[in-house]
Amino acid sequence: MDAVDSVVDPLREFAKDSIRLVKRCHKPDRKEFTKVAARTAIGFVVMGFVGFFVKLIFIPINNIIVGSG
Amino acid sequence: MAGGFRVLHLVRPFLAFLPEVQSADRKIPFREKVIYTVISLFIFLVCSQLPLYGIHSTTGADPFYWMRVILASNRGTVMELGITPIVTSGMVMQLLVGSKIIEVDNSVREDRALLNGAQKLLGILIAIGEAVAYVLSGMYGSVSQLGTGNAILIILQLFFAGIIVICLDELLQKGYGLGSGISLFIATNICENIIWKAFSPTTINSGRGAEFEGAVIALFHLLITRTDKVRALREAFYRQNLPNVTNLLATVLVFLIVIYFQGFRVVLPVRSKNARGQQGSYPIKLFYTSNMPIILHSALITNLYFISQLLYRKYSGNFLVNLLGKWKESEYSGHSVPVGGLAYYVTAPSSLADVLANPVHALFYVVFMLSACALFSKTWIEVSGSSAKDVAKQLKEQQMVMPGHRESNLQRELNRYIPTAAAFGGVCIGALTVLADFMGAIGSGTGILLAVTIIYQYFETFEKERATELGFFGF
Repeated sequence: MDAVDSVVDPLREFAKDSIRLVKRCHKPDRKEFTKVAARTAIGFVVMGFVGFFVKLIFIPINNIIVGSG
Repeated sequence: MAGGFRVLHLVRPFLAFLPEVQSADRKIPFREKVIYTVISLFIFLVCSQLPLYGIHSTTGADPFYWMRVILASNRGTVMELGITPIVTSGMVMQLLVGSKIIEVDNSVREDRALLNGAQKLLGILIAIGEAVAYVLSGMYGSVSQLGTGNAILIILQLFFAGIIVICLDELLQKGYGLGSGISLFIATNICENIIWKAFSPTTINSGRGAEFEGAVIALFHLLITRTDKVRALREAFYRQNLPNVTNLLATVLVFLIVIYFQGFRVVLPVRSKNARGQQGSYPIKLFYTSNMPIILHSALITNLYFISQLLYRKYSGNFLVNLLGKWKESEYSGHSVPVGGLAYYVTAPSSLADVLANPVHALFYVVFMLSACALFSKTWIEVSGSSAKDVAKQLKEQQMVMPGHRESNLQRELNRYIPTAAAFGGVCIGALTVLADFMGAIGSGTGILLAVTIIYQYFETFEKERATELGFFGF
């Protein structure tokens, strides 16, 4: 039982600390969340499509390169 | 200090030979920084698509398949090594300095230069080592097939690509661009991967005839060409072995969840002792170590896979080797998948059906993921100089105090939040990754988390940079 306690106690302490931390946290409201989500989504899509189009362009180019190689 | 031997001094003779980007000698306007960043990105992307000259084949088993997106690496191209050399050398140096094996006094200019030189030198050595290992291991066909000339050519190509990545990252770090090259390349690679899986126009032959790879393209194609719309919809949403619409929706969901948790933070009020008590705040985020636990976890798993596959290929009958991992060639994509041993148990179940079929596997994976992320996160704050003690020291140097607390209590107050934020943040990161993987999100949970946290950081940098440009800080 001591062995179990030595494992459970730190976990319980950690859980308590974590809960306290979350309660203390400032959480984003709807407006803030929407704003950040929109901007991050834009960044995501821009980066994704930049890579996408480079890849798209290089498929035929690579076929030529590898074909002649 | 005069008589003491110092490890860093070993690097001094090499400094002259290392390629170096000159520090920006003037303030770079914001627009110019954006241009440098975009140019660097394009150089990287083009290298990611250029095929290696001289390789015989890339049809062999790919031990790095699982981690390619995260390491910004592309099979059979000049960017085969991706950012591995620079990330690995960065981590190694961080660990050496953090654990005091290498002593660095950051207030000494020479020490900082030597440290940078050491990291760069290590990155170059790792690039060479990895290039040689790739060739000798038969990744591009056996050496006898390649011939000595081609083998050397391949090694040189990979080596120079490694140099390019190192220089691009240094360019951005030295103030010419925004953020770090590593983050930029990882995020772009992940975003590209996800967009590609959503909109790819390439077709793949399956049992049902030619199908588009992209989930969205396939959705429209199926709806247009099939007479039975309901079955078409079901297939678009749930088809196996290719990206489907459910995967896409899961990706979006994980994306939104990560953004929400990014906003969690404890804001501690701080005040300057000078400047007539100028008020400020020091935020401690729930994701205190950001995506670092995931990167470390990925590095660990990658090495486990590599070693396991290497051993399995040569000693597949050995008990210990089987314990480490058993591998089988996948029917569809040509890469090996772990089917037994430790490698299997630390791999995400590929679907909910997989979870139900082997609940022990799922349970082990979840516990391992959460524990590893928490431990990595907690350890990282110590070695990266962001523990409560380090932060207290920084604030003191900046003449900042917390209202209502004596200066000596600053560290204790920080200690109430930082270790818990690190560990619990690590657990949350792990949990989100598990959630994403179970739902079958495109790009893997790890990838999405990395991409979102990196882009989030970019916007923070963006805002800060623009604020500076517009003179909000009195420049």
